[in-house]
Amino acid sequence: MNSIPETGIALRPPRNRIERRAITWWALQSLVFWGIILAAIIATQIFWEAARSWLIAPLVIVSVLLVVGTVVEPMWRYAVHRWETNDEAVYALSGWLVREWRVAPISRIQTVDAIRGPLEQMLGLATLRVTTASSKGAIDIGGLDKEVANEIAERLTTITEMTPGDAT
Amino acid sequence: MSSETPPTVPDALVTDAPAADDPEPWLRLHSRMIWVDLARTFLSLTPLALAMWVSGTDSNFVDNLWLFVGIAVFGVIGAGADFVRWVFTRYRITDDYVERRTGILTRKYRSVRRDRIRTVDIDAKLRHRLSGLRVVSVGAGQQASAGEAALSLDAIIEEDAENLRRLLLRDIVRGAPTDVAPEVDDNPDAEKVFATFNPRWVVFNMFNIWAYLMAIGLLWGGSWMGSMFGLDIAGWVAGIADWEALGWTRSAAIALVVVGTLGAIGLGINYFTEYWGFELARVSGEKGTVLRTRNGMFRTREVNRDDNRMRGIQISEPLLWRWMGMADTNVVTTGLEMWSMSQPTAILPRGPKRVAIPVSARVLATDPNPMEAELRPHPGAALRRRLVWGTMIAGVITALLAWLSSNGALPSGSFWYGMASWPVALLGGVISYHALGHAPAGDYVVVRSGTISRATTALQRSAVSTIVLRQSLFQQRLGLKTVGLATAAGWGGYYAIDLESDDALHFADDAAPGLLHPFLVTDPDRKPGDTGNPRQPQGY
Repeated sequence: MNSIPETGIALRPPRNRIERRAITWWALQSLVFWGIILAAIIATQIFWEAARSWLIAPLVIVSVLLVVGTVVEPMWRYAVHRWETNDEAVYALSGWLVREWRVAPISRIQTVDAIRGPLEQMLGLATLRVTTASSKGAIDIGGLDKEVANEIAERLTTITEMTPGDAT
Repeated sequence: MSSETPPTVPDALVTDAPAADDPEPWLRLHSRMIWVDLARTFLSLTPLALAMWVSGTDSNFVDNLWLFVGIAVFGVIGAGADFVRWVFTRYRITDDYVERRTGILTRKYRSVRRDRIRTVDIDAKLRHRLSGLRVVSVGAGQQASAGEAALSLDAIIEEDAENLRRLLLRDIVRGAPTDVAPEVDDNPDAEKVFATFNPRWVVFNMFNIWAYLMAIGLLWGGSWMGSMFGLDIAGWVAGIADWEALGWTRSAAIALVVVGTLGAIGLGINYFTEYWGFELARVSGEKGTVLRTRNGMFRTREVNRDDNRMRGIQISEPLLWRWMGMADTNVVTTGLEMWSMSQPTAILPRGPKRVAIPVSARVLATDPNPMEAELRPHPGAALRRRLVWGTMIAGVITALLAWLSSNGALPSGSFWYGMASWPVALLGGVISYHALGHAPAGDYVVVRSGTISRATTALQRSAVSTIVLRQSLFQQRLGLKTVGLATAAGWGGYYAIDLESDDALHFADDAAPGLLHPFLVTDPDRKPGDTGNPRQPQGY
């Protein structure tokens, strides 16, 4: 392989965007997570008077996080998240405050799964999980249409089977 | 990425079962174990008998009798359980599998396919050594974090253990035809010894925070035993000096020094018993090689690491002892447990870096040594990132303390402690920055980072699976990126932190040649050959 030029090159984002419904999915996730914490704090506020002055700061912080998690984070993630596969590699970009580009060669793939949590099932979404032999090398592509996810999973499995190597 | 389940290799260990009608006979563990168990029973009763004989029926003694009763009960039950285990355990080695059945109430059956075996360890506790028995542990290709060894045989006679190891290790070589052993020798029986026991290294093993824990254990045990036989050690210590006249601070300082010294001596003795007869060698098998360590005075231990599974080396230097060149040397390999107390990946006792580096070169069998590669320093922006983080952390601590003291939960003025943490955090940032480094080195890539313990890792390029590039908003402002190299070996991922963005791409390309090529484009902001980089951070 030729080495890449010294300067003037950049990693382009992957080609495909994810489903718009993923915004709802992430918003619901945050709502459930922060909502439970907020409810717990409010309940404590009501039933335990002595703690009230202590709980103002946590209440404000959790409320802000709830708003950020349900409005800002999903929109931001939707703008960032992208994915792409070809015959040689799986490539995904994710994150919001911290962005992450992950590239795994097909020859190293061990398993390909389409995973669907309860919220995802409700929205007809699926997460594609591609694992390699490394415990830190998995690629998750969330917010795909369930049909698309199954189709990619099948295609990747076929390519993986045709690619020689013991995947370690 | 902590939530993902590891790949399904471990399941395969037990699911694809061997044929049940294999004619290979089932073997028992060695019968000498029964005698060992009898001796254990006898020995565990001795302290009780001895103590009764020494002290008669002294009332103080009777109060404390439970310890010896405990020892006796514990020992007898242990020996009994061991005997039962011997009765119900069978194992056999067929052409394709190692199988073991055990257990009375719940029959346990475990089989390991021979071509999945990665390591065969031979271990011996004192009682095994005295009776010529050995414990054989067979490790298969579990994920590094997957816990226990796949299968262990406790115990078989030394000679059988040796034969078993040779038989199974020959499989390792056959089972992994795709990789080439780092070093192939013409003489199959040749042994290459890389390092042996060095008593002077005791210095490196004495000073450790564990010294205090060890000393406290020793003191507690000592005073307890003393009280058993009528010695009042605590009283003796109280009478040895006029502690009240010395004052609280001085007393504490003296206690710290004395306890620390005691612990250090304890650790020193521990070093001698644990590493006595230490030897690191590459041993040629019939078709390949293993990296073997042997050590131990009372309890011997032999670990064989398949060279075909080795992917690199890591040398870590703890911050407090860096001035004396202290280094821990570990191999980066697949199929060995990282969290194990017995540290199977450690190939040298804690010792001087100037020895660890040449040894690592011989272990990797590469020239030039990746561990001696000149590492590229990281841009000054990485230092700025650390200083800003340090300041923010100190700021948060101060704000939190201020809030708590305004609430009256802490005495007023305690936020000054928060202010005091600022210089410490800044210093930590500077140390952390100077630890950073990365370089390609032949077939390897080298990364270095870590504040409390600076770890330098050389990883085979061909072992890198997933490439991870990471950039936070703050890193983006500073023009930095972190490159993660995911691999099946060792900790699973090794990171070059805070590289200049362009350099990050080049380093990723060095680590996994060609992988990124389909996804690279000419930067629309800059033409090729244009060296003017608007985000170029100033040199440090």
